[in-house]
Amino acid sequence: MDPFLYLDRDTWVHRLDPRTKMLLLIGAFVLAFLFVNPLYGLVVLAIVLAFGYAAKSLTNLRRIWFILFMIAVMTVILWSVFGSGETPLFLFVEREALLYGAGAALRIDIMIVAGMIFLSTTRNEEIATGLVKLGIPYRFAFAVSTALRLVPTIAATGSTIGQAQRSRGLDLESGNIIQRVRKNTPLLIPVFVSTIRSTNVFSMALESKGFGASPQRTYFLKIEMTRRDALVLASFAALLVAALALRFSGYGGVEGFSR
Amino acid sequence: MKEIFTMWRHTQMVVLVALSAAIYAAVLIPFKGFTIIPGFTEVRPANVFPFVFGLLFGPAGAWGAAIGNLIGDFFGTLGPGSIAGFIGNFFLGFLPYKMWHTFFRRGENMEQNVNSGKKLAVYVAITILASAVCALWIAWFNDLIGFVPFAALGAIITVNNAIAGIVLGPILLLILYPRVKRWGLLWTEIILPEEVPASRFQLLGNILMWIGGLGGLIVGLALGLGVYDQGLAAAGFAPGAGGTGGLVIGIGLLPFLILIIVASFLLGGREQVEAAQEEVATDTRTR
Repeated sequence: MDPFLYLDRDTWVHRLDPRTKMLLLIGAFVLAFLFVNPLYGLVVLAIVLAFGYAAKSLTNLRRIWFILFMIAVMTVILWSVFGSGETPLFLFVEREALLYGAGAALRIDIMIVAGMIFLSTTRNEEIATGLVKLGIPYRFAFAVSTALRLVPTIAATGSTIGQAQRSRGLDLESGNIIQRVRKNTPLLIPVFVSTIRSTNVFSMALESKGFGASPQRTYFLKIEMTRRDALVLASFAALLVAALALRFSGYGGVEGFSR
Repeated sequence: MKEIFTMWRHTQMVVLVALSAAIYAAVLIPFKGFTIIPGFTEVRPANVFPFVFGLLFGPAGAWGAAIGNLIGDFFGTLGPGSIAGFIGNFFLGFLPYKMWHTFFRRGENMEQNVNSGKKLAVYVAITILASAVCALWIAWFNDLIGFVPFAALGAIITVNNAIAGIVLGPILLLILYPRVKRWGLLWTEIILPEEVPASRFQLLGNILMWIGGLGGLIVGLALGLGVYDQGLAAAGFAPGAGGTGGLVIGIGLLPFLILIIVASFLLGGREQVEAAQEEVATDTRTR
């Protein structure tokens, strides 16, 4: 399995400026938080998924389906149990509390899906350059993009060590969750130690390539806002204004719900 | 506090920020499905890393904790609360190295290890304080913007952080400290003494940090439970429990947050860096 999240596809979403995608991501958060009614939430989710479909990046959602599912289940249960409404549904669960729970679950999942689409369509170099163009200091942006790149590498190293130990007969699959965590923990130590150990080599490699040699950097990767970016941002801004108008007119809430 | 900016001059520290962020995020992500408050927090054994990396890598560990948490948020807890998560996790890594030297007299061995009773006690105390400070920032912000009641989130984050740090931290520190020292990656060996402020008011800074962190959390819980009828932890979501966005919590905790920032400026740390570098120089001469 490819440990990296970025999917190299030739789509108009991939060709957008990284700053545009960052603004769209923030806009998606606002859209998600505007509506707690699950029907409206489903519309927002459909918009985000359509964007992901256009970017041919929905395959990455398979990697996080368990997290999305668990968050959805836990949220619905939490609000169904602890929230209250006016219309009894079954046992102690009221219709409004269930609706609110479903809306809250959608809200969280939409943000995660939007974040995953962003990472699937934006290369680490683009994130770093985009952050720098937004005024973030280069070294900080470099640390962020390097960390993003290293996360899947560390996960893959951990998986390789686990497989190597399993091939030698170590049983990592049996037992309850606590027993399995206890068996897996010692395998993680070599991953941490080897990762930290690479610091000096990594630093020397960077400096040998001129990292920090001059305060004024030049970039191989050139990014610029095009007419396509302007069009996408304008369309999204119009959508956001319409959604805000809808929400402030009283739509998109769950009437009768109380905590 | 200036070392959190001057550290970016050192390539090794930049790399350590990236590596500690990546390790923190890589261990956070698999547990994102084990939610405590959906969208806000989950079971987090990875929270041991900010304490350990903060002690070993200093400001690089603090920035690494902040960035690592933000990356982890992309997999289950991303939202406006991530802003407070960034600040809270920064302090989770910042306090351990900033507070450590204040518990030792000049000339006393202040290596960032837990190989003595006193050092273990200091580590546990700092872990509890850093957990409280992290919880204070995150719970205050999320209550202010109306997401989660202060008492519910504050209690959960403090306990979640402290348990991971106290249970797993000493073991990880005992394993990593000798290696990190051998590889010359301790923050006290990378940063120059003049890049760290002198500890002129470290006792005052120490006291103010405890008042700001632990005091702020206690006052916040008292306000949440007393004034707004919020519930502790899961009880905060029970029917009839108080809501969020309380003005008294929003404004009432501001002085404590300001105290934390003021204390951060007073704590210094240059003496620890000088002591560590003198020791390295002595070792080199002896060899």
